[in-house]
Amino acid sequence: MSINLFFWGILIQSLCAIIPLIIKNENRYSFLSHFGALLGIVFSLLGTIGNLVFGSSGLIYIGFNPYWNSLNFRFDSLSTFFVLLIQILSIPALLYSFSYQKPYIASGKKVKLYVFSFIMLIVSLQLLTVANNAVLFLVFWELMALLSYLNMVFENEKSEVQKGSFIYFVATHLATFLLYVFFLMLHQITGSWNFSEFHLVFNSTPQYYLLFALGFIGFGIKAGFMPFHFWLPKAHPIAPTYLSAFLSGVIIKLGIYGIFRVFEFLKPTDPILGWIVLAISLISAIFGVWYALAQHDIKTLLAYHSIENIGIIGIGMGIGLIGMAYSNQTIIILGFAGALFHTVNHAIFKSQLFIGSGIIYQNLHTRNIEKMGGIIHYAPWLSVFFLIGSVAISGIPPLNGFISEFIIYNSFFKTAGYFGNYYPIFMLIMTVGLALVGGLAVACFTKVNSIMFLGLPRTELKAFHVSRLEYFSLGILALMCIFIGIFPQPVIAFIIAVLQGMPIVNSFGNDFSVISSAFPAFSPFTMIFLSLILFMTMTFLFKKFLSRKSRIAKPWGCGYQHLNERMQYTASSYADELNLIPSNILMIKKDAVVPEDIFPKAGGHFHSHSHDFAEEVIVRPVYSKIIKSINRIVFLSKNDIRVYIAFILIALVSYLAFAFFWKF
Amino acid sequence: MEKLISVLIYLIFIVSAPLFIGIVNKLKSRLTGRLGPSIFQTYFDLKRLLRKETIYAQSASFVSRIAPVVSFSSILFAGMILPIGFYKPLISFNGDIILFAYLLGLSRFFQILGAMDIGSSFEGMGAAREATFAVFAEPIYFFTLGSLAFIFKFTSMYDIFHSISLNDPSFIIFIIVSAISVFFLMITETSRMPVDDPNTHLELTMIHEVMILDNSGLDLFLYQYSSYLKMLVYATFAADFFNPFNVQNHIIGFLLYIIILLILIGNLVWIETMMGRFRMKNIPRYLLFAASIGILNLLIYTFFNK
Repeated sequence: MSINLFFWGILIQSLCAIIPLIIKNENRYSFLSHFGALLGIVFSLLGTIGNLVFGSSGLIYIGFNPYWNSLNFRFDSLSTFFVLLIQILSIPALLYSFSYQKPYIASGKKVKLYVFSFIMLIVSLQLLTVANNAVLFLVFWELMALLSYLNMVFENEKSEVQKGSFIYFVATHLATFLLYVFFLMLHQITGSWNFSEFHLVFNSTPQYYLLFALGFIGFGIKAGFMPFHFWLPKAHPIAPTYLSAFLSGVIIKLGIYGIFRVFEFLKPTDPILGWIVLAISLISAIFGVWYALAQHDIKTLLAYHSIENIGIIGIGMGIGLIGMAYSNQTIIILGFAGALFHTVNHAIFKSQLFIGSGIIYQNLHTRNIEKMGGIIHYAPWLSVFFLIGSVAISGIPPLNGFISEFIIYNSFFKTAGYFGNYYPIFMLIMTVGLALVGGLAVACFTKVNSIMFLGLPRTELKAFHVSRLEYFSLGILALMCIFIGIFPQPVIAFIIAVLQGMPIVNSFGNDFSVISSAFPAFSPFTMIFLSLILFMTMTFLFKKFLSRKSRIAKPWGCGYQHLNERMQYTASSYADELNLIPSNILMIKKDAVVPEDIFPKAGGHFHSHSHDFAEEVIVRPVYSKIIKSINRIVFLSKNDIRVYIAFILIALVSYLAFAFFWKF
Repeated sequence: MEKLISVLIYLIFIVSAPLFIGIVNKLKSRLTGRLGPSIFQTYFDLKRLLRKETIYAQSASFVSRIAPVVSFSSILFAGMILPIGFYKPLISFNGDIILFAYLLGLSRFFQILGAMDIGSSFEGMGAAREATFAVFAEPIYFFTLGSLAFIFKFTSMYDIFHSISLNDPSFIIFIIVSAISVFFLMITETSRMPVDDPNTHLELTMIHEVMILDNSGLDLFLYQYSSYLKMLVYATFAADFFNPFNVQNHIIGFLLYIIILLILIGNLVWIETMMGRFRMKNIPRYLLFAASIGILNLLIYTFFNK
């Protein structure tokens, strides 16, 4: 019953996606399809929740004849978790998409394609996570890649959009290619296409390590782990903001979903793999946030923060892997729970921050934070919501980011305690690494908040418009941040339920009390945070009561009278001292022309920019090599269709010959 | 009853925070050959601030108004985690060492925002430095306390400090090593001498003082009080490493705590009189040194355990 509700919801959403193709009036179809899709999501959300409560995790066949039975869906706990994440997060994304399209529609832009592809994207994401069949999965995976590409070229007249979306296109197909190989190899070993039958027994033959590498890199490209992250900071800034929010909040999490599936299929029992994942994740976390600190473009900055948070999620997964290697259920639970919890949290606050940055972009028409400032005086509530998101993403109590980082910290202490030996030293390094990430995140988000919102406006601001709908979608997300921070218990209970259903956890027994005993106690937090907030409110009110004498004056400039907005501290000077430390890796290029003479005639300028190490050192050389080798065979390219058909024929024949002689 | 005494002790702790700085200032003056203000001068200063009007800059927003409150309250709550003498702290649960660091992070976050709110580059400079040095300070904290947590397999401050005993000679090394790096941490976080100078105004090379340049009246009161509290919180944190020497008695433990605090003051004053301020450029190196001391702990432990 509840499953039917889910698929009816999907059907409604798909129908709403087609509305723009039927109705001519732009405003009308935008309204109808967005809110219709919202209705559809509510339906399918109810279906998922119903399924979670009444529990039927069996296979669901969609089809009319027995040959179609291979196309099946399954609501196991991991799928349910990610489907719920997608459905809940797509509500604010849809609301924001609706209000994002409005000014474009008003200016006469045709948004048919974008509305269609965004709603279809949500549909394909939901189906992707519940697909139980590798072929079906890959179909939806490809659909997801194509539909998000279609959305990404929203402002396709800009050259940076064309470039960035191309990089995304290439990266996502690289991932898909690796996944094809991954699933083909799995099929070859198990003889099945179904996820539920991909159960291997890990042994230390090279084949398994290859499988692990393929799966991890394939999904890791999507998730944005550090050496494979190069597309993220290119694709996010150019995408329309509703898509960036969705991309960062949800789509890159599907990489995490995939990696969890890889763990489930392979059941790796080698601690080395755990260490590799941990190392990659720690590097992603530290350098993700450090690159973020060096950015001026708010959306690039947030994209790098996604890499940082994916790194934190990956740390949890790495700990879980180590637990799997030693068959220690407590460690597995703590690690994976930390990863899942941070997935939820990051989805919430990153959507919030992206939506906030999108609102600012629509008002100021710039993404450069050096040109912002003083927005707090124009839109105080926007800055409150953005501040809540920033505090949460920095992992600071009393908001939700702290809780997930707390679980991950706890997993370090538990891992060191259980395994002894050299583990304490490495776990200490992880602890300090995570603390460093926290400190850098504080530096970065104080920078973002103070340069964007505080101080004086650096460019003239006449009006700042934030619609009610935008406030509403920001408000829901902010409330979620606060609620989960103070009352983490419901989310923990949900994650325990998810863990109970995961084969890698419940192979050790899925007793609820045993699993929940692995967690640290969260009850102190509720009390401490509530009393902290109460105390703050009381102190604030008391202060207000006492300070009847207060007045407004000019800021104190240490004797200088003519402070203006150009004299404020800038984002690059704020972060300069920290950025100079790994300046070789951040590849910061500074270009300064100092004006000469006492009364300079020509103006000087200063420009600093950080280049991505992975892009400059790995991707670009490889890319240029490929281009070079392609240039060598360019003589084959004749503008004659018959030649191409001949090529296709040759390729086909040689492939068949290869398949014939090479028996799999 | 136990809880009540803890509350009482903590109230004494809060009230005596300005006294601590008062004693430091008095001693410092004496060592440099001046008579110096009374040790209660800090209280008089605070009282004066209470009577003053609060001035806000034109460009200030509500952030300036809430930042002192948030900063003060979070430091106050962080202090509740520390064991004072032999008494059980008000907040104690598994993992409170993480909460301690992050509550101080909350305080810092809002202090920086409060400084940046005005849009003056003086405050900006201070805020940038605060953010930079905090990035180093947090690893120092986790290196020292984290390594102790790994050694004792506890994640609660109270449990960790109560498992320090002098029966095992290797612990003496731990205590000494940790105490040194915690002392470094204290100096950095509370903006004392080799890192920052709390006395000179209008020097561009300062951190804490320049951040609160535009605050006055009640806001300044809250900021000053929170900086006094922070000082005492860190001093207590450092003192806890020497406490309670297996003393199972509350009163003797408390007296011992006060004696250790006085010795700590002596050290602090001695360093402040003997040393000048570092150049800003050299501070990261100084902090990295402190961090690397922390990891010594664990290396020693691992070798002892082999």
